[in-house]
Amino acid sequence: MSATAEALADLDPREFDSEEFQRDPFPIYKRLRDFHPIYHDRFHNRWIISRYWDVDAVFQDSDGFDRAVYKPDGPYEFGSRHVFGPNILEYGNSGEHRRLRNMVAGQFVGQKLVDFLPMVDQISQEVIAKFIDAGECELVTQFSSQVPIRVISNMLGLPREDEDTFVEWYKLLIAGLGFGGEHMARGIEARNEMWDYIDPMIKERSKNPGEDLLSRICVAEFDGKRMTPEEVKGFVALLLAAGGDTTDKAIANMWYHMLYTRPDQREDVVQNPALWDDVFTEMMRFDPVVHTQFRHTTREIEMHDHVIPERAGIILYLAAGNRDDRVFKNPDTFDIFRDDLHMGRENRSGRYKDGKPGHLGFGIGQHFCMGYAMARQESAIACTRLMEAVKNVRPKIADHPGITSPSIDSGGFRSPAELWLEFDRP
Amino acid sequence: MKIKIDYEKCFKSGECYYNHPELFRMGDDGFPVAVVDEVDAEIDAEMLRHARQALEVCPSEAISLEE
Repeated sequence: MSATAEALADLDPREFDSEEFQRDPFPIYKRLRDFHPIYHDRFHNRWIISRYWDVDAVFQDSDGFDRAVYKPDGPYEFGSRHVFGPNILEYGNSGEHRRLRNMVAGQFVGQKLVDFLPMVDQISQEVIAKFIDAGECELVTQFSSQVPIRVISNMLGLPREDEDTFVEWYKLLIAGLGFGGEHMARGIEARNEMWDYIDPMIKERSKNPGEDLLSRICVAEFDGKRMTPEEVKGFVALLLAAGGDTTDKAIANMWYHMLYTRPDQREDVVQNPALWDDVFTEMMRFDPVVHTQFRHTTREIEMHDHVIPERAGIILYLAAGNRDDRVFKNPDTFDIFRDDLHMGRENRSGRYKDGKPGHLGFGIGQHFCMGYAMARQESAIACTRLMEAVKNVRPKIADHPGITSPSIDSGGFRSPAELWLEFDRP
Repeated sequence: MKIKIDYEKCFKSGECYYNHPELFRMGDDGFPVAVVDEVDAEIDAEMLRHARQALEVCPSEAISLEE
């Protein structure tokens, strides 16, 4: 090895805790892929997997790798340390997970999704109307953090006059996921307020269900069993994070790339709004909202001349796999016209008829994102409506610090902190 | 009409059970299981329409309808 290669190969695990890594993890991802396809991080007590086909293989092997979190002395106490309370993700690969998933997965795809889309359209336009006369907006606070939560609130069939309160709870809950006891306390407080608010609704709709999502979740049965009220509440909270926060950040990231990364391709999208769909796909490859997934080995696993012991913590760097030059040409270039990525809708298998590899941003297999179809459609509709409304749109500030995340290794969602747009007044 | 799943072709995309939980569910191993084996085209035209949609969305072409 040359001296430079040796320096690159020599990875100090404390680099994962650096601010530089949260801002731009891609150089480290490349070093991992090239020199340490399996990296045993002794400092954080975990194993890191970063190449595309290795991440894929772990996702596909649900016998060898489990999603559930365990304490050293036994199963994890569900919901105990989480702002969101007990939720479906924590049930790992168990029958419980399958039961809950089977009950709700059908609510966000197919005809049921199609039925929700006019409402997404309407809410996007309502939110846009509030700032369009100003000739400028800060996209994160005024648009991307507004639309998805209002959509979920409507899907759940909450009264429209409570929407603003719901958005407030959402912001506190999400802040509670970050670091610091104070944020967490306020997040849990907001969660409890929200649960007190929603509790009577759960009771009422379990008895007299309507067509709304909350009713459907309350009465959905699998093997003759309904969800408990606690599970319903945990699911509502999960919807806010997994369905709200991620879509919020997806929309912000898509606009960031159109404003700063590829202004040339922005012109193509202005001409043909159908391309927002491809902006979504390429964003999910290039720098997706979620970079990491966690697994535990259920038995000893051999990979790339390493033996990973049983019950070892595994981090999958989805975003590292997405930049693997063994799979994608010019992986560090954002390009909505790339011909080596499956551009259409994703599916659970990660396998496609066109033979092209898909992005890893939704995961693959048993825990494949349940809201995959919804996220894509909602983001594309919201972005399309906004782009139609803002004529001659441009960045208000020439330099942007870029996309970042609170903490990649604790599953922090990536997005720009602020995104100022300037446009011609209507 | 009988709904058939070819488990040799199926690669567990989940499209059938995610899009049509009224017809399929996820089995223990991630493979789909038909909840309804048979659709009477005369009586339930809507269900038949759903079954045809499932056949269409399946990326592995593993679902078929038989008389």
